Amino acid sequence: MILATECDTANEVICAPANVNDLFEFDAWFTVGGLAFTRTTFLMLLAALIVVALLYFGLRKQRLVPSKFDAVIEGLVGFVRDDVARDIIGPDSRKYLPYLLSIFLLILVGNLFEVTPLINFPITSRMAIPLFLSLVTYFIFAIVGFGKNRFRYLIDTAWPKTVPVGLRPLVGLIELVSVFFLRPLTLAVRLFANMVAGHLMLTLLLGSGVIFLAAVGDIGARSLIGLPWLAFGLFIFVFEIVVSLLQAYIFTLLSAVYIESSIHFEH
Amino acid sequence: MEGNIELLKGAIALVGYGLGAIGPGIGIGIVAGNAITAMARQPEMQGTIRTTMFLGIAFTEALALIGFVLFFIA
Repeated sequence: MILATECDTANEVICAPANVNDLFEFDAWFTVGGLAFTRTTFLMLLAALIVVALLYFGLRKQRLVPSKFDAVIEGLVGFVRDDVARDIIGPDSRKYLPYLLSIFLLILVGNLFEVTPLINFPITSRMAIPLFLSLVTYFIFAIVGFGKNRFRYLIDTAWPKTVPVGLRPLVGLIELVSVFFLRPLTLAVRLFANMVAGHLMLTLLLGSGVIFLAAVGDIGARSLIGLPWLAFGLFIFVFEIVVSLLQAYIFTLLSAVYIESSIHFEH
Repeated sequence: MEGNIELLKGAIALVGYGLGAIGPGIGIGIVAGNAITAMARQPEMQGTIRTTMFLGIAFTEALALIGFVLFFIA
């Protein structure tokens, strides 16, 4: 996308950059009843399909000695079941495991699209997707909280009994804002910001490296300045794989923690 | 360029976000450093400590993220 910017490297020293939105917004392929079907929509469906296919083919039959592919999928499922759901939520965790596993795998695949050749676009860098997922988590923990504790959930959040009386209005206000407003917001923004930053960094570093090296005919030996950019971009590339895994893990972990804090609500 | 308040606004937002990132930066450093100390002292508690560390980082990071959002809004 960055290469699409028209720039005559022979004459211009500084090229006007394209709008940053061009990196994240795509033209509609076709429109269905007012809803545009874009590349992001397609990748979203592809990610969902990949998750379903991974789980179907990975867990289709149970073998005494699982194949390598089966072992990886079982490892992922076991990780979410044991290290996230059971360790955080406790004995009730089986009820919430399907949700946690779905968001973990969907976010993981969506994040890894960033470093997948030919796709190179993390679907989670469009705010709609992380915001939707965090709102689902928000409704789950709010409904669980009100379902288990009735209105004590709201009252005890706004008027915490474990705090000295003088501080209760202040702490209650902070708690109210933090639980019902900041939690879903930061959950969504954390994932979104990390993926936007990663995508921008990769595009700028690899893009400028390629632009400099491709302009070797016009600017001669000065195009070698593209090499450090390319090398740094490849380093960030590996770093982004780690970020993708970590953000998927953190989103799932925090969803589990929020649900747990609604179930065991006395602190 | 001269007297263009829009350009100045973007620059001030950038400085604001930089200032907002100082506190969470120090905080995350303290959280991660103490987690490493704890893991070195009691390696058998590694799983619990790692989970708690990520939680602490997530809550600390929220402040920097709010700054990040405000940078876009400004």
